Amino acid sequence: MGRLVLKNVSRRFNGVIAISDLNLELKDGEFMCLLGPSGCGKTTLLRLVAGLDAPTEGELFLDGKKIEGVNKECGFVFQEYVLFPWRTVKGNIEFGPEVRMDGKEEREKIAQHYIDLVGLRGFEDHYPHELSGGMKQRVGIARAYANDPKLLLMDEPFGALDAQTRNLMQTELLRIWETEHISALFVTHSVDEAVYLSDRVVVMSARPGTVKEIFRNDLPRPRVRTSQEANALRDAILRSLGAEIKRAQSK
Amino acid sequence: MKKGYGRKEFIINILSLVLLVILWHVLITLARNDIFNAPFIRLKDVPTPLETMNAFAGSLFAQTYGPALTYGIVDHVQASLERVIQGGIIAFIIGVPTGIGVGYSKLISNILNPVIEIVRNMPPMAWIPLAIFIFVAGGSIFIVFIGMVFPIILNTVHGVRSTDVRLIDAAKTLGASEAQVVTKVVIPTAFPSIIAGLRIGLGVGWMAIVAAEMVIRSPVGLGYFIWNMGDLGRYAEMVAGMLVIGVVGYIMNITILLLQKRFIRWVD
Repeated sequence: MGRLVLKNVSRRFNGVIAISDLNLELKDGEFMCLLGPSGCGKTTLLRLVAGLDAPTEGELFLDGKKIEGVNKECGFVFQEYVLFPWRTVKGNIEFGPEVRMDGKEEREKIAQHYIDLVGLRGFEDHYPHELSGGMKQRVGIARAYANDPKLLLMDEPFGALDAQTRNLMQTELLRIWETEHISALFVTHSVDEAVYLSDRVVVMSARPGTVKEIFRNDLPRPRVRTSQEANALRDAILRSLGAEIKRAQSK
Repeated sequence: MKKGYGRKEFIINILSLVLLVILWHVLITLARNDIFNAPFIRLKDVPTPLETMNAFAGSLFAQTYGPALTYGIVDHVQASLERVIQGGIIAFIIGVPTGIGVGYSKLISNILNPVIEIVRNMPPMAWIPLAIFIFVAGGSIFIVFIGMVFPIILNTVHGVRSTDVRLIDAAKTLGASEAQVVTKVVIPTAFPSIIAGLRIGLGVGWMAIVAAEMVIRSPVGLGYFIWNMGDLGRYAEMVAGMLVIGVVGYIMNITILLLQKRFIRWVD
């Protein structure tokens, strides 16, 4: 479960073409990273998949079902965490089960499971403003998982973290992802992050955004960030991406 | 800018009050002995702090003179507070849903805004003559309502409109319906503003009730008490009543601020 298909997807905003005729397929259980110059429509693409926005043309399918309206099978993880500030860690994670009207016992069981999974035991009753950035994003990930999604959508989830916390969170994310294996679409600006995390890396073109090149990444996990193969892949991706960044800037 | 409230701040606050009382005493005493008199003001007739305190103590509780009963300050405060609370509850029940509607729905906003913008600029006092002839009873409660409802509406609107759209997106992707977005995202976001509106509204309501009681006569109420004492030339009691208004208003404000701190723990 968690097969995502995008067919000839375009999105225009008042005459500006953000995404143009984009075709992409995410295999079941695959971890895919999206790279591209700023403004190439990566976030727009995630919002289309989440059903928070609708394509101007084309269709999106999740497990063969057309995405229309808000897609409740997706777990969205935001860059700035976007936690509910008036809810505790537990309250945030329980949000999904709560709006789905799960019973209290069931809710608490789910919440506790994901609190343990992301390593937040002991912080259940803390409010978001009492947590560090890394811990906030653990809550964000747990909250998305608690809704039992078929697909994780992550919009630069570690972009606001310092370099060390970022590396740690990447490792943590892989650990969590390997425990509860679901498809993941991960937007990032960091080639290093993409090479470390993903099964495939999609480089998008400068606006109007579309798929420029796809890199397979079969390096065995756990990956060594500085291995020769990783470096070679990074080099190839950087070259492809660099050309697009140049194109975006010359416009 | 603002750091905690410690011993030093407390001492300064108390000193400033003591200084004010001393200044008050000195000014009146000087005027009474014809040593210094401020121009255009009959300071002589103003009671001293001590006279005011005595008057306060003497009229604190109800007294009976044969068959006649005079209410004490305690009764007046209670009567005024009751009216403010009654008017406040009605203002809250009407103001909060109105504010949520106006803040969240463009259509409701377009329908109600002209009315709100005009009516809120009519001071509560301007409604008193109307209230006297349209209400058989409870005219002063209506004045409190008018004073309180607009701060509550406007603050609720402000709170609702400050909702982070990303939180709404997050709630939607987690499966929230449109109604759940309102109850679980918009209202919690607006909650601190709603309480702030209630606090500001109470201040306005407290001022409005005293004014209303001066005109809409009933035998109890602080406004009535002050007006009556002034009429009778019992200025010490009158000033005592004025001070009571200030102190009670202050206590109401502080109480809500404390409740706010206690119940809104998520704001740092």
